Amino acid sequence: MQTEPQRPDGAARTLRDAVEAALATRARGGDRAAFGDLIERYADQARRVARAVLQDPDDADDAAQDAFLAALVKLDQYDPQRPFGPWLMRIVANSATDRRRRRTVRRTESLEEGFVAGGVRPDVVAERAALNDRLRGALAQLPPRRSLAVTLFDVEGYSHAEIAEMLGIPEGTVRSEVFHARRRLRTLLADWREAE
Amino acid sequence: MSESLTPFNHRPDPVLGAALREALQPRDPGGAVFRARVLAAAERQPVPVVDVLARWARLGIAAAVAAALLTGMLVGRVGRQAEPAVATTDPGAVVAGVQMPDASLLLAGYSER
Repeated sequence: MQTEPQRPDGAARTLRDAVEAALATRARGGDRAAFGDLIERYADQARRVARAVLQDPDDADDAAQDAFLAALVKLDQYDPQRPFGPWLMRIVANSATDRRRRRTVRRTESLEEGFVAGGVRPDVVAERAALNDRLRGALAQLPPRRSLAVTLFDVEGYSHAEIAEMLGIPEGTVRSEVFHARRRLRTLLADWREAE
Repeated sequence: MSESLTPFNHRPDPVLGAALREALQPRDPGGAVFRARVLAAAERQPVPVVDVLARWARLGIAAAVAAALLTGMLVGRVGRQAEPAVATTDPGAVVAGVQMPDASLLLAGYSER
């Protein structure tokens, strides 16, 4: 399992924010190529965050696409003095949560059912796929806000304060949501490792 | 996962983060296909704000051009109306003219024939 770098810090982060603010300004002026650059920068992140709420990859892509289109319409509301990522992720989170609320409740595989330690595991790829299924299943069982909080914090590297602003909740609530989500997910990961 | 399990932990968990990242990763990471898809959808979108603004700008320019043409036509028409009537004895030319025919000229034309 490879650990990817988190969001850049310091000067790199300031430079990235400045570049993205400039891209957003150009996109607001009708520059579709600049908007395309922003999509490319945030496509994977937006799709992961949406998937943390929706699980189904197609639903997640639809929600991410809706979010980018909504962002395009709302670009005049974006403040270029502030980082673009958190502003966009707030729209993604809302889009995914709305879609989850609207869609017909699908049966999600229970985390416990089918997870039997020491079961038949043909190869590493299958093991990983199974672990991924179970992690997504675990996320599906969490309230959407909790799934978003842990994904934005542990996967995407946003701070508690940034997540609080994105989700419109106090910073202490973000900490609590991340804590509860981690407890559930870490237990799952630990069980999996012990079973290996 | 060596971090202490408390809500006050400020640091991201790299192991859990990597596991979740892998579980949530899109099937076609990289963004190129998705970017094309979103841009195509943006083109189909009914009225994005930038297009509205652009359309407003275009409408403004078109309205200014139309107003200039209309003003030019009106000024030209007023100028033509100010010109003296053409003194001709040809009834066809008089009928084809914009202005009302001068009855004395018409009658003079017929009386000459």
